[in-house]
Amino acid sequence: MFFRRSARADRAALDRLLDAAATDHVPGAGTEPLARLLSAAAAPGRPDELAGEEAALAAFRAARATPARAPEPTRRRRPVTAGVAAWAAGVAVTATAGVAFAAVAIDRPDAPPPRPRPTTGASDPGETGGPGGTPGGGASTGASSGTPSGPPAPTTGPPAPTAGASATRPGSPSPRERAAELDGQCRAYLAMPPAQRERALDTPGFADLVTAAGGRAQVTDYCRDRVGEPEPPTTREPKSGPTPAASATP
Amino acid sequence: MTGELNEAVVAAQAGDEQAFRFLYRSLQPGLLRYLTALVGADAEDVASETWLQVSRDLPTFTGGEFRAWTVTIARNRAMDHLRRQRRRPSLPVPVQALSDLASDADTAERAGESIGTEAALALIGTLPPREAEAVLLRAVLGLDAETAGRVLGRRPGAVRTAAHRGLRRLAALMERRGEGGPATAADDATPPRPRDVRRRQTPHAEPADG
Repeated sequence: MFFRRSARADRAALDRLLDAAATDHVPGAGTEPLARLLSAAAAPGRPDELAGEEAALAAFRAARATPARAPEPTRRRRPVTAGVAAWAAGVAVTATAGVAFAAVAIDRPDAPPPRPRPTTGASDPGETGGPGGTPGGGASTGASSGTPSGPPAPTTGPPAPTAGASATRPGSPSPRERAAELDGQCRAYLAMPPAQRERALDTPGFADLVTAAGGRAQVTDYCRDRVGEPEPPTTREPKSGPTPAASATP
Repeated sequence: MTGELNEAVVAAQAGDEQAFRFLYRSLQPGLLRYLTALVGADAEDVASETWLQVSRDLPTFTGGEFRAWTVTIARNRAMDHLRRQRRRPSLPVPVQALSDLASDADTAERAGESIGTEAALALIGTLPPREAEAVLLRAVLGLDAETAGRVLGRRPGAVRTAAHRGLRRLAALMERRGEGGPATAADDATPPRPRDVRRRQTPHAEPADG
């Protein structure tokens, strides 16, 4: 299989294997053990892997609802344009700490890439450290800015500027925004399957909520008071969604 | 595929729930598998946090590789999680379990059966963390080396090398098992390169571990 060829051909072959695994399943998978292994690892999603779908959607709705801050569970669906600005502002304000603010403000343009020039698979020979000629795959690496925002590098000490972390900091978020944020967290919380709720409360994203509710035990009641019963029934079984597996792989 | 994803991102930014659902379904399985390698059994929790943040920050996503953006968020969440737990990235499953799963994979492969996803991931999970991450980002999440390098904060060349090493190690692992030695996950920690002679001769030995 791979080791008989020149090192260079070997590397190219390995790259092809890696590229192929996630896209088309199986290049010569019938025979080649590595190919079979990789294609098994990259096999289409199973329903149980999508168990968090409704919770994720609830978070999505909550996030869209938040900037507008409307307690009735009937609104939502507002134009994003407003949402974008309000969201950025909201996150920036609630994240408060200077560092966190900076992280949000500058997130896009310079994330962790080693060098900031627009990357395209072709150019930099220096970086490949070896054979060259291994195409990156050329897939759409959208200009320079594809790099994620959020907390830039994993090395930064202070936790990410997730809005939730701001619980006890005095005064920065306006009461209005804070309330909206709590509503959002409540919806996300209530949408989770019970087993997951407990663990969710351990995460910093919900620390704020626990504080506001006055303790972990109170969170559920507190949230019901705030936002009412969860909109989508708390679904435990993955199959409740419309045929997840079928459409999971484009 | 990427085009479809991009369309969905735009639609989701405009509030389309179905589009968001599509994004979730497209990315979640790979994310979960990747996160499992990083944080083990807590992968689902970290994935939830990831989607929470994705939902939140989606409006500020300005373009580029959405997949990479999401994976980076997931990775950061995982690192936070590990920091909170004060432990380092580690194997999610006890070595024995890995060993069993891995030999399942091998047995299946000799028998011409399909290898289960779990078994395959377990085998990848026996790699040193850097190599495992590189392989997963490349093969399971479908990132190219440049993009994976950005996610990891490393140079593409380094990612490529790590992935190649990982694959060679996996190949050696499968091959060795094929020869009948009950290799444990621990003791193939270092072969820089498998010996050429040990081509896969037909597995003459009886099943390694019964």
